[in-house]
Amino acid sequence: MLSECARAATAEEARFRVDYPNSAPRRIKIIALDGPAERVVRELAQKNWNCATFMTTAAEGTSRSVRDWLSNLAGDAMNLLDQIGAADLVVTVSTTGEKADDATVIADACGIHNVMMTSLLINRASVPEPLLLETMRPLRAHASMLVVAKGEEYVEAMLTALRA
Amino acid sequence: MLRREQNDLLTQTGPGTPGGALFRSYWIPALLAEELPENECPPVRVKLLSERLLAFRDTQGRNGLIDEFCAHRGVSLWFGRNEESGLRCPYHGWKYDVTGQCVEVPSEPAESGYCKRIKLKSYPLIERGGVLWTYMGAPEKQPPLPEFEFALVRSEQRYVAKRLQESNWLQALEGGIDSSHVSWLHRGELNSDPLFKGAKGNRYNLNDARPVFEVVESPGGLYIGARRNAEGGHYYWRITPWVMPSFTMIPPRGGHPVHGHFWIPIDDHNCWTWSFDYHSQRALTEAEVQAMRDGKGIYVKFEPGTYRPLANKDNDYLIDRVAQKAGTTFSGVAGIAMQDASLQESMGPIVDRAKENLVSTDNGIIMARHRMLKAIKAMEQGATPPGVDPAHQRVRSAAVILPPDQPFSDGAKEALAVRAGIAHATV
Repeated sequence: MLSECARAATAEEARFRVDYPNSAPRRIKIIALDGPAERVVRELAQKNWNCATFMTTAAEGTSRSVRDWLSNLAGDAMNLLDQIGAADLVVTVSTTGEKADDATVIADACGIHNVMMTSLLINRASVPEPLLLETMRPLRAHASMLVVAKGEEYVEAMLTALRA
Repeated sequence: MLRREQNDLLTQTGPGTPGGALFRSYWIPALLAEELPENECPPVRVKLLSERLLAFRDTQGRNGLIDEFCAHRGVSLWFGRNEESGLRCPYHGWKYDVTGQCVEVPSEPAESGYCKRIKLKSYPLIERGGVLWTYMGAPEKQPPLPEFEFALVRSEQRYVAKRLQESNWLQALEGGIDSSHVSWLHRGELNSDPLFKGAKGNRYNLNDARPVFEVVESPGGLYIGARRNAEGGHYYWRITPWVMPSFTMIPPRGGHPVHGHFWIPIDDHNCWTWSFDYHSQRALTEAEVQAMRDGKGIYVKFEPGTYRPLANKDNDYLIDRVAQKAGTTFSGVAGIAMQDASLQESMGPIVDRAKENLVSTDNGIIMARHRMLKAIKAMEQGATPPGVDPAHQRVRSAAVILPPDQPFSDGAKEALAVRAGIAHATV
């Protein structure tokens, strides 16, 4: 007679796994921290997602108060704390050679709402290492997960894997 | 989450599959050198990448890996006679050399040259580091021999073993690059296993169950860094390299030898878990080798005369619910290797990744899949995948303490490369 595990681990038994959704969509806020990252985020926003919201940090020159610190892709101001408070996961997207200091403010908001912040850094091959390290600095200080990817296509791959 | 067609690409490695083409770009471990211990020893059945093959060592000490079946009537050459520089089929006496070339068909006149028209598929089989490696790809694309450090140190500095794992290879690999499970599944062993205990770094592991991760692409694959709090605001880093398609090395603990793995598909439902330990600067001690033989560290005890673990699915992995309740083991299964294998096999032969719910800390796994899918696609345009170049293989794992403002990719850059005369960076 087969043991419990021998019987349960067969391909035949795998057919009887409960076929029912085992999770509800997570609310994932994807925030571009710089211009090149914003282009990536805008392209991604055109695709179909479960519960992903794409946004950018407000441009220099705006008041950059909490109330209008974020912006949706149409350019409308969004309240930072409200957006982070409504998130299950925050993903920042940035590019080597650009400033990622806004991650600090986002991380503070994540801390208030106890939301995890994941940071994706797109590492452009043309950028020298000191600039990579400079862009990494604020991300490293605050992200629970930091990924340094060589290609921007990884952003979509990761969001898909997370069922964003 | 992975779509079904992506899952198929990564998990199917038989002939003609894209995933199979990826594996066929590399030298892969085929057998332990001990399995062909002497000239004219018995041949050994080898199934790799869903191909049934036969390994033998001829009269001159040449190793061969050939199609298992005689070209005449399809008899398994496992029954063959290994004699006079070839393997002779016992049915009608057809004989093959290590390249699969038929050298004798007794029923045909030698002058007819008939035997020259018969050749079994064969692959090169070379010994390096106690392992017999094969390359199953196109001959014109055969890469240089593998240069993983464990395979290049003196034999007394190394221990290598293999065990059968009854699941698809990808489930096993993904366990190897999933650093966050160690503080849970293996927490009992950090204080008790003779090949792990005593390292200062173990305390950091056990005191901080929520590590922070950094994943960085390397030329051959990835570095996955797990960061935990150490004293004085510093961070304790454990950095795991992954080299495509399936090599990983566990970060060191104290002065113990360093451990690592390959996972090589047998077929789509089974794989070989290859395990190695080595110390780059000294011979392994008798006690260390004995512990490895006894199934400690990343090793297992075997069913006699086989490479199948003694604890396996047929005996429910000898699960001990009392030990589980007492906390001696977290899952009730003894030993690091079988703790991993039991859970990975429980997922079924090939897990349906369309149903999984990955979280942010799974980015090492997500990135590894992404890089392999990307490599498979690039191979269609003729590209050579990462990890084939021996330079990509000269990597190390590392355990280091760094100041908070220093990324491991910078602070441990030298520690992550093979350096002659210098030991692994360890805590």
